[in-house]
Amino acid sequence: MSETDESGTLAAGPREYLTFRLDQEEYGIDILKVQEIRGYEKPTRIANAPEFIKGVVNLRGTIVPIIDMRLKFNCAKAEYNSFTVVIILNLRNRIVGIVVDSVSDVMELAPENLKAAPDIDSSIESSAVVGLGSVGDRMLILLDIEKLMTSVDMGLVSVEA
Amino acid sequence: MTEGHQESGGGDSFDLSQFYQIFFEEAGENLDLMEQMLLNLNLETADDEELNGIFRCAHSVKGGAATFGFADVAELTHQMESLLDRLRRHELQPNPMMVDVLLESADASRVLLARHQTGDTSAPPSNADLVRRISELAAGGTPAPAAVPAPAPVVAAPAPAPVAAPAPVAAAPGARQLEIRMGPLERPDQVDGIKDLFRDIVGLGSVTEVASDRADTRVFHASTSSSNDDLLDLFAFHVSREQVNIREMSAAATSWTDRDDPPPGAPVAPAPGFGFFEGAPGVPTGAASSAAPVEVTEVRPAAKASVAKPAASPVAAQPEAATIRVAISKVDQLINLVGELVITQAMLAQNSQALDPAANQQLMAGLADLDRNTRDLQESVMSIRMIPMSIVFSRFPRMLRDLASKLGKKVEFVTQGEATELDKGLVEKITDPLTHLVRNSCDHGIEMPADRVAAGKPETGTITLSAAHQGGSIVIEVRDDGRGLSREKILNKARERGLDVSDQMSDGDVWQLIFAPGFSTAEVVTDVSGRGVGMDVVKKNIAALNGTVEIDSSEGYGMRVSVRLPLTLAIMDGMSVGVGDEVYILPLSSVVESFQVKDDAVNTVAQGSRLVKVRDEYMPVIELEKVFQVPRYDGGKSGDIMVVVEAEGSRVALLVDELLGQQQVVVKNLETNYRKVPNVSGATILGDGKVALILDTSTLVRRSRH
Repeated sequence: MSETDESGTLAAGPREYLTFRLDQEEYGIDILKVQEIRGYEKPTRIANAPEFIKGVVNLRGTIVPIIDMRLKFNCAKAEYNSFTVVIILNLRNRIVGIVVDSVSDVMELAPENLKAAPDIDSSIESSAVVGLGSVGDRMLILLDIEKLMTSVDMGLVSVEA
Repeated sequence: MTEGHQESGGGDSFDLSQFYQIFFEEAGENLDLMEQMLLNLNLETADDEELNGIFRCAHSVKGGAATFGFADVAELTHQMESLLDRLRRHELQPNPMMVDVLLESADASRVLLARHQTGDTSAPPSNADLVRRISELAAGGTPAPAAVPAPAPVVAAPAPAPVAAPAPVAAAPGARQLEIRMGPLERPDQVDGIKDLFRDIVGLGSVTEVASDRADTRVFHASTSSSNDDLLDLFAFHVSREQVNIREMSAAATSWTDRDDPPPGAPVAPAPGFGFFEGAPGVPTGAASSAAPVEVTEVRPAAKASVAKPAASPVAAQPEAATIRVAISKVDQLINLVGELVITQAMLAQNSQALDPAANQQLMAGLADLDRNTRDLQESVMSIRMIPMSIVFSRFPRMLRDLASKLGKKVEFVTQGEATELDKGLVEKITDPLTHLVRNSCDHGIEMPADRVAAGKPETGTITLSAAHQGGSIVIEVRDDGRGLSREKILNKARERGLDVSDQMSDGDVWQLIFAPGFSTAEVVTDVSGRGVGMDVVKKNIAALNGTVEIDSSEGYGMRVSVRLPLTLAIMDGMSVGVGDEVYILPLSSVVESFQVKDDAVNTVAQGSRLVKVRDEYMPVIELEKVFQVPRYDGGKSGDIMVVVEAEGSRVALLVDELLGQQQVVVKNLETNYRKVPNVSGATILGDGKVALILDTSTLVRRSRH
């Protein structure tokens, strides 16, 4: 996987992306960061954590924090039903679960289908958006999920003193 | 023994390496023990027991080293042994110089052993100087000890066949004069230890070597009251029975050394010739005596025994070692498995609660048994990892002794609570910070003897190291009665360094300044301490173990550093409490009591903080509901149960909705995938698979103080 580029810039060769839906938007993340996909179960709430951190769950003996991406991205509604899905990510040996509305599919994107992201004003740190992918008439927002999850405002990692 | 060497060298390398390992471990232990005894030795009133103990240690190391062919170690320890032997026999009076040189020799031996262990083949460090100093001390004005054996004179002569000695049938209990021949020997020096035996064993008698007629045979004249059988048993560590010949010397007996030929026919040759047949006079001795020399090649069992037990001096026969060495990874695996078992057991217990106890009586009984057994098993397994603090403490007397003499200070070292047990992992991590603290106390804390006297204090300073369990943590304290911390100096230094300080700071805050990186008030930087690296590292290391460091000091009177560590065990007893719909775990070790509170027992003080009166004592109330912002869906009223918890010497009452029960919980780290959560020390998995947070009672208590 030599094209897996830690810096998150667009890589040369085609790469596979897991795409998921948040409300009306479709996002793609590097499939190599995905450990597994599971149904949503109610996590144990953690006091004084940001609202988008739903809490922690027991993943086969490991305590894993769960982040609701819909709350993080200010989606209009965040319902929890039998279709709500948790994507378990493995980011540099830290395991994190993200809640999304649904997982669409895995697709391969060639570099020519990737466009650099325009400067956008959004709730996401713009450097975490690595680009836009177009597949037919669909637009994919490609995220550097690792950068997003380790950013300070995520509050997932203790800030070094 | 010689055969043992050949056997070991010849193809049986697996066994050999095993024995090597045992030897290295034993030698290390012996050297440690010796060092400890040397340090405890009171030079004026040294008693025989102590001196003998030290001697035995040196002797065991020497014997083992010689057995395995580590000549350099054997030589050095032999010299130590010679000196110790003279001390032991009160031919010399012990003095500090001897202790010093013996300690140094012990260190040198360790270095040499380590080289052998790692197979280092570079040029060994020279110990010639040490050896010279030891022998000078051992000479100490009196003639050189007889312990140094003169090499057996080389005389070419045919091997005298062993001959049975005249029968001491009516063996008198008094001392017998014996002539002991040993040979033929492959290495004549292998029986040097015989003399040591006579020295070691009280009441065995005395022995002197006489010239032998053969290079491969050595002859001793002994005066002893022991039976031949006993002697042969003792000699078996050095030489096989078949190579030993004992006979009683009498005026009539002709010395073998005068003859070229064995006395033909061995006129009187009854029983005890080889010690085999004592009390069986009917045995034809001719067969025995002729068989003996041939059997020299068949001594493997004896030789093997001596390899497995390197020169264990029989008198030093320690109680059978009731310990085994196990790799720590195996223990950890065991602990992990027990952890899983505890979770499974909790799950079963929880699932069975819904069952009808009457209909499932047997199942319930079985589950109760399982509960108890799991608990016992877990306790036993956890205790494997627990080691006493004395392991840590034992390294300090030596260090302090060296340090104090280097600095020209007089320091007495006191330890308390050595038996306090601590998890092995913690012990390893706490050693370095403690070393730092003790060094600091000696270097900065304790004043020079003259200054102490001038200040009206005893000339000898005291450094106390103590360990004790307190609730769910262990508290290790380093105290000294030295000059203490100077508030003024620290503040000045802090200003110099541009730190933000004011004269109004509390003492506690001022003392915390010394934990700042690079902070040192020492006027002179010594090679011991004062470079300002240290306290910040100490604090960092201890914080990494979830511990805290507190300083208490009074200028001119000394200083106390308390290190508080959680007994971070993977499994702990917890009390689960319910708040709203949520479950939290309290460490049972910090729970004092719980009670239902009456409205009139709670008072409010000025800013609205509440106090509850428990048996004439007022303690602050912490509402978990507020601390953890527990949502109330049903608009229900908050609970009325208080759980009193104690941490860091203070008590607070936690207000909860209900008590759910006590259970063992497996502590999981939240920070592995998440971050530190305030007031929470970790998480655990409940029987139903849900995650529950474990409360950090110390931060809760601390919170109530502010």
